[in-house]
Amino acid sequence: MSNRAMSVIFASDNDSQLNDLSIHRTTASMPFGGRYRLIDFTLSNLVAAGITKVGIVTKNNYNSLMDHIRMGRDWDLNRKNGGITVFPPFVLNTLHEVYKGKIDALYSLRSFLISSKEPYVLLTPANIVTSLDFNELENFHFETGADISMLTYKTDELNPKKNIIETDSAGRVIDSRFAVTSESGGPEELINLGIYFIKKDLLITLVDNAYARGFIDFEKDIIQKSLGEFKIMSYEIKDYVAVIDRIPAYFKHSMELLDADIRYDLFYKKGSILTKIKDSVPTRYLNNAGLKNSLVADGCVIDGTVENSILFRGVTVEAGAVVKNSIVMEKGLIMRGAYIDYTITDKNVVIREGRKLAGYETYPMVIAKDKTV
Amino acid sequence: MKINQKECVAMLLAGGQGTRLGVLTNDVAKPAVPFGAKYRIIDFTLSNCVNSGIDTIGVLTQYRPFELHQYIGNGQPWDLDRLSGGIYVLPPFMRAKSGEWYKGTANAIYQNIDFIDRYDPEYVLILSGDHIYKMDYSKMLKFHKGNNADCTIAVLEVPIEEAPRFGIMNTKDDGAIYEFEEKPKKPKSTKASMGIYIFNWQKLKQYLIEDESEKSSQNDFGKNIIPAMLKNGERMFAYPFEGYWKDVGTISSLWEAHMDILSATAGLNLNDRNWRIYARNIAEPPHFVGFNATVKNSIISEGCVVDGTVENSVIFHGSVVGKGAKIYDSIIMPSAEIAEGAEVRHAIIGWDAVIEKGAKVGETLAAPVSGEWEIAVVAPGYTVKEGEVIAANQMIGGN
Repeated sequence: MSNRAMSVIFASDNDSQLNDLSIHRTTASMPFGGRYRLIDFTLSNLVAAGITKVGIVTKNNYNSLMDHIRMGRDWDLNRKNGGITVFPPFVLNTLHEVYKGKIDALYSLRSFLISSKEPYVLLTPANIVTSLDFNELENFHFETGADISMLTYKTDELNPKKNIIETDSAGRVIDSRFAVTSESGGPEELINLGIYFIKKDLLITLVDNAYARGFIDFEKDIIQKSLGEFKIMSYEIKDYVAVIDRIPAYFKHSMELLDADIRYDLFYKKGSILTKIKDSVPTRYLNNAGLKNSLVADGCVIDGTVENSILFRGVTVEAGAVVKNSIVMEKGLIMRGAYIDYTITDKNVVIREGRKLAGYETYPMVIAKDKTV
Repeated sequence: MKINQKECVAMLLAGGQGTRLGVLTNDVAKPAVPFGAKYRIIDFTLSNCVNSGIDTIGVLTQYRPFELHQYIGNGQPWDLDRLSGGIYVLPPFMRAKSGEWYKGTANAIYQNIDFIDRYDPEYVLILSGDHIYKMDYSKMLKFHKGNNADCTIAVLEVPIEEAPRFGIMNTKDDGAIYEFEEKPKKPKSTKASMGIYIFNWQKLKQYLIEDESEKSSQNDFGKNIIPAMLKNGERMFAYPFEGYWKDVGTISSLWEAHMDILSATAGLNLNDRNWRIYARNIAEPPHFVGFNATVKNSIISEGCVVDGTVENSVIFHGSVVGKGAKIYDSIIMPSAEIAEGAEVRHAIIGWDAVIEKGAKVGETLAAPVSGEWEIAVVAPGYTVKEGEVIAANQMIGGN
């Protein structure tokens, strides 16, 4: 797809749904899988497909994202041609306020879009964990003669943020609606991932028209209303895909990484997932370490018991501490004799001697960044 | 044409073949040999330079240079991709009328006089690419300047019984060197040369040119340049270094240095925030420890999948330890596979090597006695077949 498409990533699309974990950061910079941030998956997929001009739209709390991305070097995006641009809110604006939806966000990027030489745009949120080849989407777009190609997947996890799609037998989208309630375990539905491949000129026209009428919601005000006029095609991902839009989903999909097949799909099958390089040392196991079924990043020191858990970089588990079914983010310290079960501890959390914490699989306990228990 | 002037340029000797590492250096130069679960040997010297504020480094390569050249690349992992200075790989090259291999350590610098002159440095720091240590060269430079020296040689105190293995500096009370003895049978001092020199560049240049015209010279710093300078009464000082230092030029010293990482008392701490060791990173996910794993006193890097027993061992990135496999006191280099039920003891397994199901490496007839075993080595990329047994002290694979 080299140089035919640019990309716009919406870094903040789901912030309100991730509660304590997104107080300090955008969804895009949410830690995931021991050493990654959610946006790493999207960026790695883009780079692998040769898309090297990337704009990232942020809304609030974008410091952690800026710190993660820096100049984009770790994704090979520090280019003279293209490269990465982070758009904080309040820049080049006739808006006078922080944008509310993707339509006004895209409108504020109008000159960035127009000045770019790439004729196509790939729009994507930053909360999708998958390893996919965007070239396949591009080929699909041209083969089907679509005006807009939309990536979809099937799931039974529904909530009011899930955009349910109906297609005809050829894959053309004929209906778009939102789930009314949150439920899971029912029949699977085809869901819009919010990843679109579209000709730049068409996107600008659609955004201009919608913005002029005061619309803000891309799915409700543009996609839904364009179904008749434009050929919008659904391209369903059959490989592993996880959408991180709620804390239980974050927990569930994190734990899926303990499955060797899913790790293969994500990290090896189509190419590497790149992330910020931190020069951590390898992980050190001491004499009392006992580990089962866990994922451990570099820089940890482990002398306690860890089961069915994910440890991020630089975590310390002291002797006699027990970590079960939990996610311990960067630089967490689980002190002697502490016990945690179904718990997510954010960065720099300290669980002091003898403390016991337990959540439940569908409602894990979350300890916010920098807290000491 | 001069570029920006630099006070001190480092020249890193990385051309040695490293024959004593056997099959490990069949295809790569010694400084490129993996070390410490995620590093290469050369990372320690490069990181020392950067942490000491030296940003202009010439790396002299000759033997099997491709892996090393690729690894160093533009120097970005060490923050050496600079507008002024940075890192340069300097293999031997052809000149208008001639061209030859580096004949010795001194000749390698002699052949690159032009490179050094471009930076017009006051001082030149000569380093080896095959030592594991953390050292602040800026302190040594300060010492050199304070003594108004022509040459300063870093020395390490060694036990007197080990002194005959080293080049020994005999010094006066003020640290001035009056005699240098290579591997003396009856050492007069315990100050062993670490192969780290600071010279005043103009002085060194003069000696290099003279040495080059001497047909019988071996063009070696230790054998020729240092003795010649001593003979002429130049101001030469020994800079005392305290801390961990190891020449990892042999199989046993390479193995010991890895065990030193695991030891709480050996003094080789990789996790020092004030003195980071930088390396070129590989994009691999965190390592996975399975249901059947037992891991004690070991270090494991990213991308590994471990489902067996690992004790007192160092597992490099991307390696696989199958269900029920047992690894004791060993070094498993990158992307090696120890299959189900295989056993590895007191061994170094080269990168990409495979130890198939039930095979045994480092096997002894009786239970190994501490201090009496020898290290088994499996060559990079070699496959030890199912059920095969490789004895202790055996080196297998390679040419």
